[in-house]
Parts: sequence; C-alpha cells; structure tokens
Amino acid sequence: MKVLALATVEAGDQPEGRDSVLAAARAGDRAAFDLLMRRHERLVLGTAFRLAGNLEDAQDASQEVFLRLYRNLAKLDTGNLAAWLYRVTVNVCHDARRRRPGTVPVDDAQELAAAGDDPQQSVHEAERRALLLRSLRVLSEKERAALVLRDLEGLSTAEVAGVLGSSVGTVRSQISKARLKVRDFVERYSRRRL
Amino acid sequence: MSCAIWEERVALFAGGDLRTAEAAAVERHLSRCAACNALAADLRWELDRLRQAHAEPLAPEHYAVVRGRVLAELAKPPRQRVVWPWAWAAALAVAAAAVLVVMTKPAAVPVPDVLRLVAGAPAVERSRTQRAPRKGAVISTHVRRRRVRGAVPSAIEERKLEAAEVVTPPAPVPPAVEDSPVRMVQLATDDPNVVIYWLFEGTGEER
Repeated sequence: MKVLALATVEAGDQPEGRDSVLAAARAGDRAAFDLLMRRHERLVLGTAFRLAGNLEDAQDASQEVFLRLYRNLAKLDTGNLAAWLYRVTVNVCHDARRRRPGTVPVDDAQELAAAGDDPQQSVHEAERRALLLRSLRVLSEKERAALVLRDLEGLSTAEVAGVLGSSVGTVRSQISKARLKVRDFVERYSRRRL
Repeated sequence: MSCAIWEERVALFAGGDLRTAEAAAVERHLSRCAACNALAADLRWELDRLRQAHAEPLAPEHYAVVRGRVLAELAKPPRQRVVWPWAWAAALAVAAAAVLVVMTKPAAVPVPDVLRLVAGAPAVERSRTQRAPRKGAVISTHVRRRRVRGAVPSAIEERKLEAAEVVTPPAPVPPAVEDSPVRMVQLATDDPNVVIYWLFEGTGEER
C-alpha cells in the first residue's frame, strides 16, 4: 500500500501527483507525509530561520508546523497549501517569540552591529550578507514577517497580506519601513567601522 | 540626506511595489534628487544581497533533523486520556445523595410552640363560650395534609370539628403570646395525615 502510494507520488510534480501525495498522507501513509515534508521543508525552515533568527528555534518551529500540518491534513485544500504553511510558520514563530521574550534584542541596533565584530577586519561580501541578515533583528515582528515574505520569499504584496491577515496598504507600509530600517542599520554599522 | 516625504515611496519603488503612475512620479523625483537617487541605489543593492543570502541553501542535515523529529513524534503511541473510574463513581454517588436529600427533605414550615399558642388562641374561647370567632379576625386557615389520598372533603371537615374540641389549653398564659399580633392554633385530628393550623390576628376580642 505504501509502496503504491509512493510510486504514484514519484510519477511527477503534476497537480494530480501532489493531490495523490496529500491523499496518501491523509490516509495515514507516513512515507507520503515524509515526501510532503521534503517538498515544503525549504519553505518552512527557510522562512522560520529568517523569522526566528537562529537555526535551533527555526527547527523547533518547523517541527511544530509539520506536526500541525499532519493534524490538519483532512481539512487542507491542496491549492492553498503553501499559503497555509507560510501562515502557520509565521504564527508559530510569533508564539515562540512571545513565550521567550528578550531572546533577540531588537531595539539597540548599534549594539547589535558591534557585537562580536573586529573593527579592524575588512568588510567582505559574505560579511555584508551576514550583516544584512542580522539587520532583520532590528525590525518589529510584523515588519520582519512582511519583509521576509515579500523580499526573501518573493510573495506578492497581496499574498503577503493574505498570509498575515492584513490589508495590502498595511503590508506596503510595513515593507517600506522595514527596508528603510535595514538600510539605516547597515549605514550606522558602516559608519562605526570607519 | 534624502527627502523625508519621498523615503517610503522610494523604498517601495526599490522593491518594485509601486503602480506605474506612482513609479513614474518617483522616477521623475529621482532624476532631480541626488540624495533620493543614492537611497534608491542602496536599497536595491541591499535587497539584492538579502535575496542572495536567503537563497543560499541550508545544509541538508538541518532539514533531516526536523523530518526525523516529526516522524519520531508521529510514531509515538497516541496519548491516552487518564480515566479514573473510581472518581467518576464517587462523583456520581455524591450527586445521587444530594438529589435524594433534596427530594426527601420536608418543607421548612416553622412549628410553633403548640401549647403556648393554643393557650392564647380565641379558638379555645370559642370552645368555652360556644361563639364563632369574628370573620375579620381570621387571616387564614391552613390545612396541611400528609399523604392524604382518596379522602373525602366532608370527612376531613368532620375531623376538624372533632379535633377542635379535643384540644385543651393549659392554665398559665405566657407574656410572649400576649404581645404577638398573630396567633396560631394547631388542631390535631385522629387522622395523622391531617394537621390543621389556624392563624388569628390580635387577641380575638370583639371590638
């Protein structure tokens, strides 16, 4: 039974194939569910990593997201699975952060920029990227979610609004503020190093 | 220094989030404002680098860890709800006892000191003087029945009359009865299921 289900799944990434994976997973096929996780793990863990700011919390959040996926398989609509996963990922990260407040400093950008860096060291390309990713920590939770979904995950503004349950206007405002804050963070960091 | 009023629009422009008309307006401003032009260039560069950084894949083992944990969680036997049968039985017994107590409890009727009340009651005077009490003086006559079934009303009335003659008052009259505006006489009948209470207002004397 499981082998049959997987054989159908491996047949291709056609919508019918996706439906059959979901159907097999709904029927309790763990191998099919494993395949479902593999298909969406980059989306879930990648987004959670940017939202949580560290890998350990992101893995915890991803685990919770996939467990919720398993519990809700019967109710899910195949067409909206990605949107559902984004929404749950954002919510789980939000809940985790509320349970552990203060784990990520968000206000003191200068302190964050200076932490652990040697001022004498030249700023390489990789370091600049790491700096940009760290700059996400200075954003508010909603701004960060909007920026991650729009600029990193490539969702449209309307899709981001749907995932976050906000209006398009609100999301546009959050995105523009987030971009300006990131830029401000990098500028302040660069000035400190000169 | 860029223009504060243009900053947000420039930030949206850098990410391609403006409609055609708005984008054209920002482009016109950028062609005239060096500071905003520099801001737009910085924002584009930063967004580009952010996307590149995010696109770098995580090591496969990080994904495997998550999958392994999820599958291990699903493999665990489902948590069974703890059921305490004795607790349910105890709760049920307590509830049944409470219901039983409520159902069998007699109505809370204050039972007066029969002898004292009878001593000051005008009904006794009636039995002595063979006069009927004033109609206005009687507040109510209450016949309390205990499981009287199939009793004919006329038979009960007969018993009332018989009982009224049976009751005799003791000689001393307590002062408390004298002060009370309402008095009650309990008439015992030969039927243990029928008790008659007679309530009077005042002393029962004619005015």
